[in-house]
Amino acid sequence: MKQSSVDAVIRGLKKAGVSIVCYLPDSLFKQLYPALDADPDIRTIRVTNEGEGAAICGGVFLSGKRAALIMENSGLRASVEPLARMGLGAGIPVVMLMSYRGELGENNWWAIPHGITMEPVLNALRIPYRIVREEDQIEQSIVDAYNWSYNAYYHSAIALGGEIVR
Amino acid sequence: MKRYDCMKLLAARLKDELVILSLGASVDEWYNAAPHMREASLFQQQLGCVTPQAFGLAAGLPQRRIISLDTDGGMMFNLGILATLGNEQPKNLFTVVWDNECYQSIGGPPTHTAFGRVDIAAIARGAGVENAYTARTLEEFEAHCEAGLKADVPYIVVAKVAGTVQPDIKRKHSDGREDKYIFVRHVEATEGIVIMGPSEHN
Repeated sequence: MKQSSVDAVIRGLKKAGVSIVCYLPDSLFKQLYPALDADPDIRTIRVTNEGEGAAICGGVFLSGKRAALIMENSGLRASVEPLARMGLGAGIPVVMLMSYRGELGENNWWAIPHGITMEPVLNALRIPYRIVREEDQIEQSIVDAYNWSYNAYYHSAIALGGEIVR
Repeated sequence: MKRYDCMKLLAARLKDELVILSLGASVDEWYNAAPHMREASLFQQQLGCVTPQAFGLAAGLPQRRIISLDTDGGMMFNLGILATLGNEQPKNLFTVVWDNECYQSIGGPPTHTAFGRVDIAAIARGAGVENAYTARTLEEFEAHCEAGLKADVPYIVVAKVAGTVQPDIKRKHSDGREDKYIFVRHVEATEGIVIMGPSEHN
């Protein structure tokens, strides 16, 4: 990720009122995680799997603070059960920012499943999402996701793909 | 040791705390044992979610004492949270693990703790939660409640309880969505904050 894209993500998170980020690091966002760690206005919590991160974000929602779950899109699959329970069972929202592994252009065989399953899994959970490939749309897209989730009290997702992460 | 008896001892010590609790028969037991904590308690349906959610709540409200009422099955579903707690060292999170050595709500098939080898408190200590203990008597449990509720490090007590359910207790009628609203409105009122505010237009 270019520094300007990292800056756009952090601007978007701050504009949306996010003060806590849970993450499990991945390679496409590798420049983003240390920038989040270094930001004095954001507390980062490293998690052992993305489902745990989703549950922690749910707890943060209940506190009145705003959280983000940041991960590779494969983490969506690890999060499905807590997302379904919290979102559909209780109306506790989690906003996710994920790197789009496995889209056209992918050159790792192991990442192909991530691309094949991301949108069907989001659709199965009825989670609205936006795939962002232009840097100038990052900030507003993150804000839009929070506006939606804090009216729907349901999850939303932003996937960053294309040249943003390559 | 009965879970319900432990709950009554813990409940007597609670006033301003917030509680996240696990699914199963312990839900109705808790709401009967701690009626004054009804609005301040939220039960979660998913194994592996209870302590992570309680930790998220603790991270968001660092000035407030948060209680996680987890279970053996729930904790073993996501042991990773113990490592996260070990690294994050929340100062305001007290975790109780009701270890009845079975999946009680589906009739009681054994969990991994039933065979005398798996020790959740030892796993927690190995994960960096130094104050993690097993309680086998009400006296031990109450002593850990007293210490855990004022600790400024993460504190876990694994309560070895019988696989029985307190008879003749009132059932909770609300679902997860209503429970969420009750809990959120309680947090809003007691913290003086807005979590679920008005839309732009009515």
